[in-house]
Amino acid sequence: MAGFFRFVAFSVTHGLQGLRRNGLMTIAATATMLLMLLLLAGFWLVQAGLAAGVSYVEQKVEIVADLHDVPGAEGALTVEAVALEADVAALPTVRTVDFVSKDEALAQFRERLRERGQVDLTGYLDRNPLPASLEVKLVDPRNYDQVVQLLQNHSRVVDDVVQVQQLVSELTTVTGVLRTGGIVLLVLVGFVVLFIIVNTIRLAVVARREEIEIMRLVGASDAFIRWPFIFEGAFVGLLGAAAALAIIALVSGPVSDFMYGFFRVLPIELGSLQSDMVLLVVGTGFGVGVLGSWLSVRSYLTK
Amino acid sequence: MTTPTILRPAAAPEPLVDGASPSAPAEARPVVSLRGVRKVYPNGKAALDDVDLTLGEGEFVFLVGPSGAGKTTLLKLLIRDERPTSGEVILDGRNLARVPRRKVPELRRKIGIVFQDYKLLPTRTVRENVAFALEVTGTPRRQIRPAVDRALAVVGLAAQADQLPTTLSGGEQQRTAIARALVHEPRLIIADEPTGNLDPLISWEIIQLLLRINELGVTILMATHNASVVTALRRRVVALEEGRVVRDEVGGYHRDD
Repeated sequence: MAGFFRFVAFSVTHGLQGLRRNGLMTIAATATMLLMLLLLAGFWLVQAGLAAGVSYVEQKVEIVADLHDVPGAEGALTVEAVALEADVAALPTVRTVDFVSKDEALAQFRERLRERGQVDLTGYLDRNPLPASLEVKLVDPRNYDQVVQLLQNHSRVVDDVVQVQQLVSELTTVTGVLRTGGIVLLVLVGFVVLFIIVNTIRLAVVARREEIEIMRLVGASDAFIRWPFIFEGAFVGLLGAAAALAIIALVSGPVSDFMYGFFRVLPIELGSLQSDMVLLVVGTGFGVGVLGSWLSVRSYLTK
Repeated sequence: MTTPTILRPAAAPEPLVDGASPSAPAEARPVVSLRGVRKVYPNGKAALDDVDLTLGEGEFVFLVGPSGAGKTTLLKLLIRDERPTSGEVILDGRNLARVPRRKVPELRRKIGIVFQDYKLLPTRTVRENVAFALEVTGTPRRQIRPAVDRALAVVGLAAQADQLPTTLSGGEQQRTAIARALVHEPRLIIADEPTGNLDPLISWEIIQLLLRINELGVTILMATHNASVVTALRRRVVALEEGRVVRDEVGGYHRDD
């Protein structure tokens, strides 16, 4: 047991000594780690922002069914409309169904006019020309057939189903490409980061092959040779990750403001991604540091 | 020899490899024995061919021969850095071919190795370089300091203990390397051209040091090109040529005709 503690103490202190005594290699490896992690985090943010934007747009897709005006039932639900709403809501492809009464429709219309700064002339109308409607949001915007069918079959209640098929199929094609492309790009960047960091650590190990050779000659076991380097790799990884996170924390505010201003329609939230991203950056830094050291030292161990 | 005894008495040797019988008399159990050793490298070059060699306890043996004769290959076989293509390498009664890979480090702790280029770590002091051999083999800290002090006393470098190797002369650097080889208290020291980078006077100092260590009971095998030293000392000389032992007798660098 004492031997094990001695081994761990040796590995940690020699790992730290290695960092200090090979300052230039440490700086190079940490800088590479930092830049690569920033690249990875940047791609992650863009990809996550894109995904958030895409699902936001997809959520906007809804099927709107205008209902017949029912005299004497201004702004209220008829029995048939209530039954239809329940039927639609029961479909597994449906996320939500909202009933918008004639009054609500008029209020929303006036709101939009005011936002655009246009003159509201609706007060001069003798009656409300807007129909009541059912607004249906889908779990998956591509599965609209069943809902549209159901709505069209109730022609006694439903006046017209606004055609969304064309819009939906075009939109989902675009968003699908964006999503897949983003993930593929992220994976590619991940591999590039892995290779570059492993190579940098390999250089740091090659620079110290004499030390490894001496350790082998004086009878150090493989574990004593390997673990200081693994601790070193882990330190470099964590150091790079901490620096990357610090930089991201500093610039994320302004960047997120800029992005929000740029894509006004897309609510890109950096805050909600943070815990995922911290995990990604720290995990990648640590994992790649350890893996890189392991692979690099392996070829120098006893054959 | 005024320095304290660093080494265990030769009369009660520690077995080089665990499991070797400690009760066998020293004379009956040579430290090193090669039987019919052949070594062909993967590129087809035959470095050693049918070599038989036995080193007895406490011997001082020179290994001579032109460059490429197979001296370094022979030394590498002894520390199991290379394995023979055929034949047996026996260290203290143990066939190295049967030593499992994970036991190789233990084996090397019982052999001291010295090289022409010293192989010191330039960022560590003399003391740290010697202590390194003990640290990396998991020696308890409280045992390291006295062992390092003893080894530095034997080679006469106590005063330079806290200097970096780069501030030392070549001879002092080689003495540091010898202290590192001694610190595990080995029964066998292998020296590969230890005076190759040193001028004649300093070379003699190194040889004298190795002779004193030999008097303490350590078997020494020294590969060298230094003809004047070999001829003057009249010790056992093993000459290799093109991978074969062409001479094995007490004498000089060249055949005494």
